[in-house]
Order: sequence, then structure tokens, then C-alpha cells
Amino acid sequence: MRPEIAKLRELMEAAEYVTDAPVAMSVHLAMSLNKPLLIEGHAGVGKTEIAKVMSRMLETNLIRLQCYEGLDAAATLYEWNYQKQLLHIKLGETSTRPLGEREHEIFSEEFLLRRPLLQAISQDSAPVLLIDEIDRADEELEAFMLEVFAEWQVTIPEIGTIKASRPPHVVLTSNRTRELSDALRRRCLYLWIDYPDFEKEVRIVERKVPEINARLSREITRFMERLRGMRLSKVPGVAETLDWAQALAVLHADHLDAELVQETLGCVLKDADDIKRFQAEVAKTGLAPFLPTS
Amino acid sequence: MTGAPGAVPGAASGAPGAASGATAPRDLSSAIVRFGALLRRHGLPVALIQVMDAIRALERLDLGDREEVRLGLRAVLISRPEDLPTFDRCFDEFWRPDTEAESSVPSLAAPASDAPEEGLPLPSAGQKRETLALDTWGEAEDEESGEPLGVPGVSDSESLAGQDFSTFAPDQLDEVFRLTVQIARRLARKLSRRRRPAARRGRIDLRRTLRANLNRGDLIDLRYRRRKRRKVRLLLLCDVSGSMDLYSRFLLQFVFALQSVFNRVETFTFATRLTRVTQYLKARSYRQALRRLTEVRDWSGGTRIGESLATFNREWPHLVDRRTIVIVLSDGWDTGEPELLATELMRIKRRAGRLLWLNPLLGNPSYEPLTRGMAAALPLIDDFAPAHNLAALRQLATKLTI
Repeated sequence: MRPEIAKLRELMEAAEYVTDAPVAMSVHLAMSLNKPLLIEGHAGVGKTEIAKVMSRMLETNLIRLQCYEGLDAAATLYEWNYQKQLLHIKLGETSTRPLGEREHEIFSEEFLLRRPLLQAISQDSAPVLLIDEIDRADEELEAFMLEVFAEWQVTIPEIGTIKASRPPHVVLTSNRTRELSDALRRRCLYLWIDYPDFEKEVRIVERKVPEINARLSREITRFMERLRGMRLSKVPGVAETLDWAQALAVLHADHLDAELVQETLGCVLKDADDIKRFQAEVAKTGLAPFLPTS
Repeated sequence: MTGAPGAVPGAASGAPGAASGATAPRDLSSAIVRFGALLRRHGLPVALIQVMDAIRALERLDLGDREEVRLGLRAVLISRPEDLPTFDRCFDEFWRPDTEAESSVPSLAAPASDAPEEGLPLPSAGQKRETLALDTWGEAEDEESGEPLGVPGVSDSESLAGQDFSTFAPDQLDEVFRLTVQIARRLARKLSRRRRPAARRGRIDLRRTLRANLNRGDLIDLRYRRRKRRKVRLLLLCDVSGSMDLYSRFLLQFVFALQSVFNRVETFTFATRLTRVTQYLKARSYRQALRRLTEVRDWSGGTRIGESLATFNREWPHLVDRRTIVIVLSDGWDTGEPELLATELMRIKRRAGRLLWLNPLLGNPSYEPLTRGMAAALPLIDDFAPAHNLAALRQLATKLTI
């Protein structure tokens, strides 16, 4: 293993992120090749967390662009503060200064609203730019972002061209609600995050919810593993595991029993059919198959 | 382990290993190029830029650590989770562990140039006759691309429109494709027309208003904008099992035509298992698409509709929302449990904008949906339509709105 990668894993662990080889490799290459990193995976497996950890590790700003349907290019780059401009025009109505000068004034930096992409390129040190849930934005925006990624410069007609002194580290996440374009995929490094295996999830629980004991964290993790093996319509992610662990910590639980599971089931199962299915399963086999064998 | 970057076993044959870290040795670079070609032959869309990135990535990897190289190349060359198994298979075949090296380090062997060809079956095997027949469709597409948009169903094509697909001769298939594309375009036009914004309604567009009124004291000439009409999404679940054998080739063709016109079409095929084929159908020509499809299909092997839908609901629930039209193309012959089919179909229906079931057997007057699966599904379906010929498919056009 390259020492940089070992070091990176240490750093990520220190930044409260339980990592594994594929994740560390993707982050390593994204940073050293300076390429955007596209992360896909089920809901609640920690995709967004990677960007946060990167920014903590690099001690740089995290700039987040949350995508949604109908998000247009202007809202990602910059907009003019129209209300403020209008007010300024009104206040200056009686002014005798030439029109050109007044126009120049209201299209200056003071009236510029920097949106995430512009923010990302006008920093002194390279920030981490998180483009969250890119699959929810329209295809047109995807193409627009590719353009921005290629140049890392933005031209504002009234002000001029702003070019990034250091291009940002880009992390894109997607829940796969739609297939992203091949053009985007080609330009990104790719990381698929699956549900963690048992040992990794235990480590995550112990790291994030240190209040609970070793026995309980293993019980929770084993339980979640079994749940994910059932045919559920809403499979609980790591986020649910942590919610549950947190709830159990508040209740000062030290092990799982049937009553406790029933009381806190809402933390992990969030679909009526799933709860029914789980209850039927427990009625048949009891709780034992959901707990560690030892 | 402190992997010296120059310690590449393959380097011994050509470039000196002393090129420590600066650039990957030449034959290693060419091996990456060949590896990229191998992946492409197995249906992975590896672009040149990715191959170049892979070569750059090598400089940042410990070449003595096989697992590290695998992960590194994977991050660069792969862009979908579905491609992971194929990648790993190809990697194992191409980069065999160097068994002759005595060191305890499992190092990277120079790839044997003939290894990939004999090791893995290439997707071209089998089903030759079918492939040939489908190929002619691809050519038909190329020829007709310049044709003006007409209303489907005039003159000669009328006689084709009523004909049952199961009786089509191969030489008529190009006509089938042409008509299908026409229908697909008609559907697309119908949707796009609705997106035109009204001139005087909606929210005021401050950006354009301010621009238009710069040399006035007040905002007189107001500019408006309107939320872009939300797009309708198409989700197609195609039965390609044995009982659909006569039709599935055509239906896949239909799907391909739809997809070449619409932006957002998700396509899955199923027989005994479910396969997402959306990206395979994004190829430029039908022939190309088919070549990629041959790798994944399990055509003609019995049907488990219920289980396939269950897989869909488990793995891809987010692909269905209220703006999604779900179309199931199947005859309903199900060897699984009808209860499962009903439950899973209900799940889809609850979230979808509309659920259509197209059945290739409905055109036959003697057919009644008596198969158990179909009987279970019927009460849940918004529209149940025949898909046995072009006239039937054309009617689908009138239903594709929300």
C-alpha cells in the first residue's frame, strides 16, 4: 500500500469516518488526479459524509450545492440582488449622474449574490465542492456543470472573468433516481458504496455512538444485517443504525430484548408493510435469529 | 509494505524500472490500453479519457500491491455498480498474479496477450439467427433518419398495422422499426408541446424585467417566467421469457425506439431474473445495443414476474414516482406465486402515476386473461391493452399523458 493511502485512511479515521480500502482509494485518486468523484449508493450509507470528511481533512471550506428538480444554471452560479438593485435605483432617482455610471454601479460586486459554483472558484485555497443528489437535477444542468468543471472559470458580463486559482475538489452524489449521462460518468472517478459489512458497521456504531457497550453495538449491527436480508421495501441504511443506537443509548440499554425492540422499532422500519412482515417473522422464529449467536 | 514504484515485473522486458514514479513504464501503459479494450469488448463503456486517467493513476499506486491496483483501476474505469462483477472477472483474467515471482508480495504480472480471448466467452456466441434478423433493423434506422415526420398509418403501412407480429417475415421488419420510431416521435412531440410557457402568467422574472427597464425609473414592462413543465418519465418492464418468444424481439425493438426519442426511459427486462438494461439501449444503433444486450439476457427460460417485480421494488424503488408511467410488457404467464405478483404490483401502483400492462395475446378474440398471474394483476392495472400489432401500439399514444 502506498504510504499516502495509509496516511489518508488514518486521517479519515481521525476525522470520524470509518473507511475501507475502496473508499480510501477513490478519495486518494480524486485528490491526486484532481478529478471529480461520483459517489453512488443506497440512501443512508454515508455518501455525503465523504465530502464533509474531505473538507475536514484538508482543513478547507465545504461548499454544498443541493440539487432539486428545476434547479437552473443561474441559481448555481450567481444572481444579482434585484431587490437591492431596485432600492438603489429608487434612492438614486433624483441623481444627476449619467445613466451609464449608475448602471455600472448596480452591477458591481456589491450587488452580486455568489451561488455555490461561483463561491467554489473564488476561494483562496481549493475548497471541497459537494454537489448533492445530482440525479435530482435536470439533464441540462448536468451538461452545464461539465462545462464549468472543464474550465473552472466563469464570465460575468458586467464584471469580467473569474478564474479559480486552485480548482475545487468536487464530490457528486447520486441516489440513481435517473441514469446520469455517460459524459459525466466518463469525467468522474466512480465509487459505489454498498451497505457496510458487519465488522465495519460495528466500528461505525462504536465510533459514532461511544456511549453504548460492545455487546449492544454488536447486537444492533447483527440485527440490522438480518433486517437487510429480509425483503423489505425500505431497507434501513447506516443512518438508521445510528439513529437506533442513539435512541438505545438515551434509554441506557445494555442489550436488546423483545420489548425494547418493539418500543424502538420505529427507528429502523419506516414502512407499514415492512413492520408487518417483521412482526410476522418474529412471531414465527422469535428474536433469536436476529441476534449474534455467541 | 514500502512498494517501490519501479518494481513492476512486466517492466523487466522493456522499459527500465528506474522510471520511478515519473511515468508508468511504456509496456504497462499499453497493457492498460489493451485492458480497456477488453473491458469494452465485454460491454463496459470505457472511454479514451478513462484509459488515460488509468495510466495517470498508476503513478499513484503501489504496483506491487495487486489489490490496490484493482481498486485504483476500478475507480477510474468503472462508472456503474452493475459493471463491477464484469470488471473483476476481466481484471482477474488479464492481470494474473505473478506466480513465478518468489517474493511474498503478490505482484502484478505482465498480462498475457492471449489470455482474455480464451479465458472469457465473448458475448457474440449463440443465437446467431436472431442476431442477424435484428441487425437488419439497425440498418433500417440509419436509412430512415432523414425522413420527414408523417402521421403514422398511411398507405402501404396500413396493411402492416393490422398484422400479428408473430407472423412477420424478416424482410418486413424494417417497416416495423420505421413505424415504431414514428410512434415514438409522435409521443415525444405530444409531451414537448406542453412545455411551452404562457406569455403573461406565472411569476415575474426579475432578472429579465430589470434588464428590460434599465433606462426607466419604474418597472413598466414586466417579464414573466413559468416553472418548466415537469417531464413524464417512462419505466418499461419487459418480459423476455419463453412464452413471449415470438414477441419479445419486437417489444425490445419498440422499447429501443422509444428510448431513442425520449430522454427519460428506464428499461428492465425479466424472465427469471430482473436486469436493468437502460444503458445497454443507449447505443447509437440497434445492432450496437443488441450486442451489449446479449451479455445480460436470460431470454426464453420461464417467467417469475412476481419475483422480478419484487427485485425491482427492493433495488430500484426510487425510479417510480407520480410522474412515472409504468408499462409492463408481458403475457402474464407466471410460474411463481400470483399473490406475490399482486403484492408487488400494488407497491408499484401506489407510487406510479399510471400503470399500464401491454399484452401481446389480447388481440386474439379467443384470449381471456385466465393465467393465474394475469388474473391477480388485472384489478390493479389502470390500462390493459393489446400489444400484438402496430395498430395496437399506436393506440398507446393516446394514453401516454398524465
